[in-house]
Order: sequence, then structure tokens, then C-alpha cells
Amino acid sequence: MEESPLHQFELQTWIPISLGGLDISINKAVVFMWVVVFLAAVLMVVAGSARKLIPGKLQSLAEMMVDFIRSMIMDTMGKDGMRFFPLIATLFLFILFSNLIGLIPGSYTVTSQVIVTAVFSCLVYGLSLVIGFWLHGIKFLGILIPPGTPGWLVPLMIPIELISQLARPISLAVRLFANMTAGHVMLAVLFGLTIGGGLLIGWLPFAFTVAIYGLEFGIAFIQAYIFSILTCVYLGDAFHLHGHDEHAH
Amino acid sequence: MPQFESDFFSSLIFWEVLSFAILLFVLYKYAFPGILSVLEEREKKIKDSLDQAEHHRSEAERKLKEYEAKLNSAAKEAEGILAAAKERAQRLMEENEQRLTAEAERIKGDATREIDQERRKAIQDIRAQTTELALMVGEKVVQRSLTEADHRKFADEALEALSKSYQR
Repeated sequence: MEESPLHQFELQTWIPISLGGLDISINKAVVFMWVVVFLAAVLMVVAGSARKLIPGKLQSLAEMMVDFIRSMIMDTMGKDGMRFFPLIATLFLFILFSNLIGLIPGSYTVTSQVIVTAVFSCLVYGLSLVIGFWLHGIKFLGILIPPGTPGWLVPLMIPIELISQLARPISLAVRLFANMTAGHVMLAVLFGLTIGGGLLIGWLPFAFTVAIYGLEFGIAFIQAYIFSILTCVYLGDAFHLHGHDEHAH
Repeated sequence: MPQFESDFFSSLIFWEVLSFAILLFVLYKYAFPGILSVLEEREKKIKDSLDQAEHHRSEAERKLKEYEAKLNSAAKEAEGILAAAKERAQRLMEENEQRLTAEAERIKGDATREIDQERRKAIQDIRAQTTELALMVGEKVVQRSLTEADHRKFADEALEALSKSYQR
């Protein structure tokens, strides 16, 4: 009687567009990407133009986010990392706004599309490779041998580290996608039970729906944070290559 | 799972890259510089204010110590002045006392001497009068040609009268 909990992730082509054979049709996810970009841009630009020494509410919010990302970069990459600030901050805001806007009933969670998160993770990981080879040349392959590895362990460590390196973009993409998908599936299932349960028993799954909804709100922040901090860590690894400290993976 | 159907991948990738690029551009151009500069400005301002506050604090502490020292020395000075004043008052009092005692002594001495003098003078006067009386008595006796007994009797009477008047 009720629809599948996965139904919410299905997309329909709204306006078919083709660009030289490439299908770039407009669908719900694309529209919500625009919404995300629009809201994030408006909030940050409006808040950023205030420039008051004693900030108002909006300015405080924007400054809090910017300061949060800035201290995150400073902690993981040091002062050099600030050149990546625009990228990491935009990434954080895009993901955060996607996650949060996705929580509005009837909207679409852009980050619940695995291809969307995969594009981000490939961007981040690709960038870390580019930076690594750019700065350290062929020596960047040394990232496969952790410092202090005894010589006889090297043949063993290289495949292990290779796998760990390859797991980075995949885990980065899947973590965000799976979290968003799972959260929304759980909400859909619980709300389906509420509808199915009727008035007599339906309040119980409804209470859970509310609770999980609150949890999802926190997860929206946490996942945006995790994605950005891992971005910092990966870029920092490439930047410093066995630098001052080992980062936890 | 609908997310693994690749029909929409191309459009999603295209629009994602495009919208991300636009967002990055807009924020990079119009949002981040402003916010970052405000943050840095505020940090600087706070740091400056803290530095200034620290400076003021140390200055105040220094002043306090200075004033305390001044206060201490002033108290000591006051104590000194008080002690000196007390000492002086004591000395003056003693001096006065000594002077008054000496004066009293002198007055007493003068008075005693004067009294002495007066007494001596009185005795001399008495002697003179006595002699006169004796002469007077002698004259009378000579005029009436008295006996030896009469002489003696008159002389005794005269002396007695004299001593009586002197005793009185």
C-alpha cells in the first residue's frame, strides 16, 4: 500500500537537454543543486558584506562557519593549507547545505546520490595526487612506504598502503552517500509505519521519526565536517609527505 | 537502488561540476575575502585590546606600588614628626619646670634674706632704744640720787619691760 522507502531517491527527467550528445537533462536533484548553490551563495555573500566588527546574527553564523573551516585547516595542514581554504570551505558549505536542505520534507538530498559524492571525492583525491606529484615529483610514491618501515617489510607495505590509498576516494564517497541514504530510508520506513499503524499504534514509530529526524540534523553537520576534515588530511598528506606528524586515517 | 542507475549520471556530473564551480567562484570572489578579513581584523583588535589591557594592568600595578611606597614613607615621616614634637614638648615642659623651680627658689631665697635683714634691723633698733632707755633711766637715777638697790631695781624693771614689749 505504501511506496518503497527507496522511491524518494528515484529521479525523473523534467526537462530533457542534450549537449553534443551528452545528456544534461534537468531533474529534481539538479534543481536542488541550484537551490543549494543559490542559498549558500546568498547567505555567505550577504553575511560577508556586513563586515561589522560586532556581527549580527547572520554575519555571526557565516563567520562561525568560516572560522570553523579555517581552524580545521590550520589544525590539519598548517598555515600553508590556507591556499585551499576556498575549495574546502565551498565543499563544506555545498555538502552541508545539501544535507540540510535534503531534510526538508518533499525536497531532494543531493548528497544521497552516489555519483555526486563520488565526483567530490574524486576531485579531492585527484587534487591530492596532483599536488603530491607536483611538489615532490616521483618521490611522492614514497607515500606508499610509511616512515620507519624496516627494509624487509617494504614489499609487504606497498600493497597494503596502495589499497589504503585506493580506499580513500571510495570510502570518502560511500561514507557520505550511505549516511544520507540510510538516514532518509530510515525516516521513510518509520514514517511508513506511522501511516500504516494508524492512530492506535502509529504514535510510536512517529515518535521515532521525530527522534531520528533530530539525529539526522546532527548527522548532516557531522558528515559535512567529516568530508571536509578528511579532505584536509588527504591534501595535507600530499602537501607535507611524511611531514611533521602522522594523521589518523 | 535508484542511485546506481546510471541514466542520470551524466547530467548529475555535469550540473554538479558546474554548480560547484559557480559556488566556488562566487564565494571566492564575493564572500570569503570579506569574512576572512573581518575575522582577522577582529582577532587583531582583540589581541591589541588584550595587549593594551595587560599594559594598563602592569602600569596600574606599578603605580600602586609607587603609591604604597609613598604612603609608607609619608607614614614614617609623620611618625618621625610626631616623635620629634613629643620630644620637644617634653623638653619644653622639663625646661619650664626647671625654670619655675629655680625662680621659686630664688624668690624664696630673696624673701628669707629680706626677713633676715628686717629681723637684724629690728634687733639693732631694739638695742638702740634699749641703750636710750638705759641712758634715760641713768639720767633719772642721777637726778634723784638713788641707792644701789634703786639702780638695780630700775634697771631690772626697764629690762623686763623691754623684753616684754619685744616678746609681744
